[in-house]
Amino acid sequence: MQSTDTEFLIPSSVSEALSSIALEDAIFLGGGTSTALLYKTRMIEPSRVVWLGNVGELKGIFTSPTEVKIGSMVTMAEIAADREIARLLPGVSTAAGVIGNARVRAMATLGGALAHADPRQDLPPALIAVDAKVSVRNASSSREINLADFYEGFLETVLSPDELITEVTVPILQNRRSSYLRYTPTSEGDYPTVGAGASLTFNEDGKSISTATLVLCGVGAVPIVSSEAGLALAGTTGDDSALLRAAELVRGAVDPQDDERGTADYKRDMAAVFAYRALKACLNS
Amino acid sequence: MKINLSLNGKGMELEVDPMALALDVLRGLSLTGTKEGCGVGVCGACTIMVNGSPVSSCLCLTGTLADKDVWTIEGLAEKMPELIDSFVENEGMQCGICTPGQIVAAASIDSVGASSPEEVKKYMAGNLCRCTGYQTILSAVEDHVAVN
Ligand SMILES: Cc1cc2nc3c(=O)[nH]c(=O)nc-3n(C[C@H](O)[C@H](O)[C@H](O)COP(=O)(O)OP(=O)(O)OC[C@H]3O[C@@H](n4cnc5c(N)ncnc54)[C@H](O)[C@@H]3O)c2cc1C
Ligand code: FES
Ligand code: FES
Repeated sequence: MQSTDTEFLIPSSVSEALSSIALEDAIFLGGGTSTALLYKTRMIEPSRVVWLGNVGELKGIFTSPTEVKIGSMVTMAEIAADREIARLLPGVSTAAGVIGNARVRAMATLGGALAHADPRQDLPPALIAVDAKVSVRNASSSREINLADFYEGFLETVLSPDELITEVTVPILQNRRSSYLRYTPTSEGDYPTVGAGASLTFNEDGKSISTATLVLCGVGAVPIVSSEAGLALAGTTGDDSALLRAAELVRGAVDPQDDERGTADYKRDMAAVFAYRALKACLNS
Repeated sequence: MKINLSLNGKGMELEVDPMALALDVLRGLSLTGTKEGCGVGVCGACTIMVNGSPVSSCLCLTGTLADKDVWTIEGLAEKMPELIDSFVENEGMQCGICTPGQIVAAASIDSVGASSPEEVKKYMAGNLCRCTGYQTILSAVEDHVAVN
């Protein structure tokens, strides 16, 4: 590989990182797993790379009875190994633990995993299902974005180039159960044909469902929330026929494409199957 | 750019292109035990250990190794002879092209705390082998985990 004159900066604080990015075509770097691939083929040639590996502020996981906060430089392996996340957010834990292979999980960061915006990624549906919010900052302001509103298209998010993801916050609801399941017909480490993140929140009686969220990846240009499925489950007890009916509604929400992981029709079928299983997994969690 | 790192247990300062791949930089330092297979993070032939974790050197921009503790098969073979023995005793290799990566992955298994055969299998799933059929590799890694 020919060498280049990309400037490589290693800030040690968020404010330093934010002031370093103020240059056209500068990019943030997390674990570098997707950036290295794009750079290797010169699909990107940034003039400056701002690597976040030394920004300690971005590396914590904080759990309280009401919320979980995960810093953007926390790796997939760290999320998958965290006992509190496994207990409170089993779907998020599962998703982080199935991404790629052990090497990808050791390198890939939460910020990179969200900003990469490949619609087949596992973490977004698991996090959207539990109402995750993304905290974002640039040099002059900060904002919070619902992860459900974060994706605009294939590899596109609402982030502007100078915006840094600092952390993700997930509210913890006592009556909510969640899950994530994916289907990979090829090898263990491959992207899924379809993945389903689900959550069911129960009323105080503990029996009837107040809200349900079902989110699919791999079957559209962005993660897809099936609001019809959610509405169909509200008020039910989550009995099998209600789950099956809701899962069938997913077919109308997804927009899959033919590729090596299956035809569009096959993916639509699998989306319904895995939507049902993810809902069922919530009940068993 | 100059970076400091510890490579196979020795502290050093290296002049590197931070955007070069660690795979190319290490092989350029005559550490040719690290192999390139797929070049896209899938096969594991290029596995190195960074701060105890397995890393695809084909996806690792060298700048990110600043201040890290980096081990390649050369260093680990000296440091962990019993792990090499375990691969030999179990005949965990045939052509050998994937073997350095398998061994570096095995050496990094503590990073995820895998211990049951199922956990070992899941952890090693990202290191592909076209020869052995995997069972002998898994046995070698299980033996290693059992004694450590
Ligand atoms: C072999 C392989 C297999 C894979 N398999 C799967 C899979 O099965 N499932 C799956 O979901 N994914 C899979 N992936 C994709 C993987 O999830 C992403 O490559 C990874 O999450 C990106 O994280 P990173 O930290 O390495 O990103 P980087 O490469 O560091 O960054 C990615 C993008 O995010 C931006 N960015 C990084 N951090 C921030 C931040 N804090 N704020 C703002 N922008 C930021 C960067 O500028 C860049 O545009 C696979 C990848 C590989 C290489
Ligand atoms: S060469 Fe790096 S994983 Fe295959
Ligand atoms: S021994 Fe030949 S590829 Fe593994």
